[in-house]
Amino acid sequence: MKISALRLFNVKRFAGRGVAIEGIGDGVNVLCAANEFGKSTSFEALHTLFFQPYSGKSGAVRNLRPYSGGNPLVEADISHGDDRLRITKQYYGGGYARVTDLATGRLVAQADEAENFISALIKGGPAGPAGLLWVRQGVTGIDKRSNAEEDGEKQVRASLLESVQGEVEAITGGRRMAEIIQAVAGELDKVVTKRGPKAGGRYAAAIEARDRLAADEKRLAADVAALRDALDERTSTQKRLAELDGADERQERQRAAAEAQAAFEAAQAQGEKLKAAEAELKLARERRDGAEGALDAFRTTSQNAKALAARLIEGERRRDEAVGRRREAGELIARVQAAADQADMQEQEARTLLARLDAALRAREAAERLAESNRRLNEAEARRQALEETEAQLALVKIPPGAIEELQALEVELSGLRAVAEAARPSVAVAYAKDAQGEVTMDGAPLADGRERSYDGQAQLVVPGIGVISLRSNKKPSGDTRLEQVEERQRRLLGSMGVETLAEARERQVRAQEIDAEIRELRGSLSSLAPAGLARLREDAAAQALAGADVSGPEGDPAELRAALTQAERHRSETRHALREAEPARGRAEDAVVAAEISLATMRTEQAHVEAQLGPEDQRGAREQALSTELAERLSQFSEADARVAELRASGVDLASAEAALKRARSVQSGAEQQIVALREIVAGLNAEIRARSDEAVEESWRETAEALSAAELRVAAFEREVAVLQRLSLALDDARSEARELYLKPVMAELRPLLGLLFDDVSVTFDERTLLPQTISRNGQEEDVERLSGGMREQLSVLTRLAFARLLARDGRPAPVILDDALVYSDDDRIEKMFDALHRQSREQQIIVFSCRQRAFQKLGGNALAMVDWQP
Amino acid sequence: MFRFIHSSDLHLGKRFGQFTGDLPGRLREARHGVIGRLAQHAREHGADTILLAGDTFDTETPAPDVRRQALAAMRDHAPVRWVVLPGNHDSLQAAQLWAMLKAEAPENVILATEPVALPLSPQVALLPAPCTTRRPGRDMSEWMDGATTPEGTLRLGLAHGAIRDFSEEGATSDVIAPDRAARAGLDYLALGDWHGALVVDPRTRYSGTPEPDRFKHRRPGEALLVSIAGRSALPEVSALATASFDWQILDLQLLDGDDPVQVLEALLPESRRRETLLQLVATGRSRLPGRTAMTEAAARSAPDFAFLELDDSGLTTECEAGDLDLIDRAGALREAAAALLAEAESERHSAGEREIARAALARLFSYAQAVTP
Repeated sequence: MKISALRLFNVKRFAGRGVAIEGIGDGVNVLCAANEFGKSTSFEALHTLFFQPYSGKSGAVRNLRPYSGGNPLVEADISHGDDRLRITKQYYGGGYARVTDLATGRLVAQADEAENFISALIKGGPAGPAGLLWVRQGVTGIDKRSNAEEDGEKQVRASLLESVQGEVEAITGGRRMAEIIQAVAGELDKVVTKRGPKAGGRYAAAIEARDRLAADEKRLAADVAALRDALDERTSTQKRLAELDGADERQERQRAAAEAQAAFEAAQAQGEKLKAAEAELKLARERRDGAEGALDAFRTTSQNAKALAARLIEGERRRDEAVGRRREAGELIARVQAAADQADMQEQEARTLLARLDAALRAREAAERLAESNRRLNEAEARRQALEETEAQLALVKIPPGAIEELQALEVELSGLRAVAEAARPSVAVAYAKDAQGEVTMDGAPLADGRERSYDGQAQLVVPGIGVISLRSNKKPSGDTRLEQVEERQRRLLGSMGVETLAEARERQVRAQEIDAEIRELRGSLSSLAPAGLARLREDAAAQALAGADVSGPEGDPAELRAALTQAERHRSETRHALREAEPARGRAEDAVVAAEISLATMRTEQAHVEAQLGPEDQRGAREQALSTELAERLSQFSEADARVAELRASGVDLASAEAALKRARSVQSGAEQQIVALREIVAGLNAEIRARSDEAVEESWRETAEALSAAELRVAAFEREVAVLQRLSLALDDARSEARELYLKPVMAELRPLLGLLFDDVSVTFDERTLLPQTISRNGQEEDVERLSGGMREQLSVLTRLAFARLLARDGRPAPVILDDALVYSDDDRIEKMFDALHRQSREQQIIVFSCRQRAFQKLGGNALAMVDWQP
Repeated sequence: MFRFIHSSDLHLGKRFGQFTGDLPGRLREARHGVIGRLAQHAREHGADTILLAGDTFDTETPAPDVRRQALAAMRDHAPVRWVVLPGNHDSLQAAQLWAMLKAEAPENVILATEPVALPLSPQVALLPAPCTTRRPGRDMSEWMDGATTPEGTLRLGLAHGAIRDFSEEGATSDVIAPDRAARAGLDYLALGDWHGALVVDPRTRYSGTPEPDRFKHRRPGEALLVSIAGRSALPEVSALATASFDWQILDLQLLDGDDPVQVLEALLPESRRRETLLQLVATGRSRLPGRTAMTEAAARSAPDFAFLELDDSGLTTECEAGDLDLIDRAGALREAAAALLAEAESERHSAGEREIARAALARLFSYAQAVTP
């Protein structure tokens, strides 16, 4: 199939417009235009025409509709074999599909039949599979796409390969293979997982049963062993018991015990005798020792008595001496004490006198101070009064500051103003004739010659001799009141100061300054009299008046008195020292008396004791004689007893060994009895154990378990073999299928290899068996997933794969166009040229339509340049 | 003329743990039933004594019900007399068992627990050789040589153990002298231990077990009826059928070309299948389809029998191109089958691997048959 023209109307951005791409020929066709020109729209329209039914409203169809709505119309002219056909579809309103024969204008098919016709063109049909091999911008065909699209293309590839290589079923075993693999997997799945026996499965259950039985068997075997041991032990125990319990043994043990008893008793009797003799010996020895002791004591005591008498005399002498010393010490102390008391009294007197003298002195000083204070207070108060009076004076004459200056200024201003007023007034001057008599008076005041006088309003000149001349100035008094104002101010100011004139004011100012100076002087003298203020001065005076006490007192020279006191103190301290020295001597003397008395008393007690021991003096010799006689007697008794004991000891039997022998004989007897009891107990215990285990039929259980265990082991082994067999079979089937698939993909590989060689050195590709698309690529011995390749390489591989399939189709006599919509966006210039070579190489047998916006790059592609023209259906 | 029944190895109480379902119970019950059948034979043949030459009980400590019910059954068959000899399974070491038996035994049960001559009748003396322990380590029958009996009385020996270095339980050292009967001047030596009946000499026999308990001896369970006319007369011995279960080993010898299913079906017993335990041992050569068919046929028949197992590990599978064609003529399935066959026949692989490969091929074959082409 080849496409010769594409026309669209009311599609996407071409709302209410139509465009056509005419003259699409064999080989490479290029529609190269800038973005937004309608390339992709054309591509989508073409795709939709072939893949979307006219009645559909899928996403692709909706996409085709302009924003303004309307019914998209797409039309393509194709040649299929010898037929030239036109396929037209309109979507949405008035939707239809139509196939017409261009040569005859005959309607080949319409509506659903037309759809069937188109789908046969793409996917196969009676003439075998044909199709369009699309590569979209960015869509490399390796990425995820919608399942339907994916499946559609896959079907094309699969059908192609089948037609070239034979039924895939026949090669890969197909459904039977799949079923067998599934059955094997199912069987395996029942018993094992990837990690081992499947939990809950029969295999796992068998293993579990075996393990459980093995454990049971072990336990039961141990039980059986224990039972057998118990049986054996009971046998041996019973044998031993029979031996011990036999009559002969019993008699023998009794006889031995009786003999040992007799021997022991004999030994015991002799032992008693020896014990009695030994007691006698002990008594004799004690008596002898007693007599010896008594004699010795008597002699020692006699000697002691003599020594004691001498010591007693010495003691009495020492006591008397001590008493004498004590008396002397007492006397000395009494003397010293009296002297000390005397010194104390003297010192006290001197001290009192001095104190009184001191007090009198202080009182006199205080009285003096009080008089002075009172004087100063009076003076200060007089000063203060003067100050107050002077200040009152000052208040009378004081002129506010600046008043004098203001008055002066007013005086000046007033002079000015008066001058001005004067100048404006009518004036009269008389120039007297030399001979003129008298003098003209004006308002009573004579007018001097030549002297100009002014007047206000009217004036009367009395001219002597003539009469009275009345002068009248009929000029209204001027409105200027400034003079009056100033004069008024001056008057007020003077009034406020209580003066008449400036001169008087000045005089007052001078007077005020004098009074001020006076005040300052008064203040200075007041503050020197009462620097802390008058109030304080008054308080001080009052305080001193209170303190002022009796100033009367003894008269005398304090220095003399003080020297006397010092003397008295020294004397007192000397007497005290003497007393302190004397007192220890008395203490020592008293101690010595006490010690001497005690020693004497002790000796007297001792003497009494000794004399009591010795008895009356006159019988002492006879007593000593009696004691030595008794000692001699006791000595002879002791040696007799000693000889008796030695005799008995020599002839004695060892009681301890006789007793040990008896003990042993008895313990043999009782041990045997105990052992018999113990053995009987053991036998009883064993009996119980054996009976219990026998009743449990433990051995039967053991044998049963052992048999079950061997059966379970066989079963596990059978499962192991089963799993091995199934796994081996599974492996064999997988291997065979993989190999078959490789074989199946051989033709497309053969087509792809030279194309790959154009772009890459030493590259081989493996295909995914499921999608029939490249899965891994190996370069320089390294295998990589296609998904991990660069975008450029992926798109190149995608285009090449399609070209390979297209070539395979062409070889099979069913050429199909390859349509590329900006399919080489990621490729660099070098690769793009190589791709162009590949495209041209393919285009010999193939129609290739390329849409691209990369005008410059695709200029080098050459081929048939397509253009879009306006079209109206 | 003295007539008695010689039997041994009743193994009462044996539990048959290797089987599942109710078969162990049935087998166990069958052993108990032997007592009745022996007594029945005794009555029918006019024998008043039944000698049990050891291993009457399977263990030294049988469950109380086993022991009591056995004694009760024996008592029920009075006046038939039972002589019970301790064997290696129920030796005298099981003092408890023998003490209990002694306490509980009815009058018509004689416990031959001591090696002393036991008068069965004025003219017949029984010389028993009880097993004192599980493995006595010496010939217990030796005392019979010196045992004196009144002139003219029949001397019957009763012993349990091996006479050669074979035994029911492997090699032993306590071997009974094979010529003990001659040495001790016995008129008959009744032996137990070997579970298949065996004639040692005219006067020395193993009776075998009356109820088989394993696939070992290719004999049915039987007891011996022995009649002795008098001193120095040879005993007349005949076998009595006593078994209720048949334990059979069937040899399935196949030749290439035989139809294994036919051979198998011809071999299977027709009657008493429910009381038959079968072990089919297939040997020889077979083709893939035949082998699969045989496995299926055995599986089909198994429910008829008390037990049936097919051991085809000794069967070699012949495989030809035609057989592989049945799997697939070409394509991946055929390739897989060919690969498995190659491995099964390759000398480079271990026997185990080859066996696995062969089994995998057989499995593939059966799967291929199961899925429709």
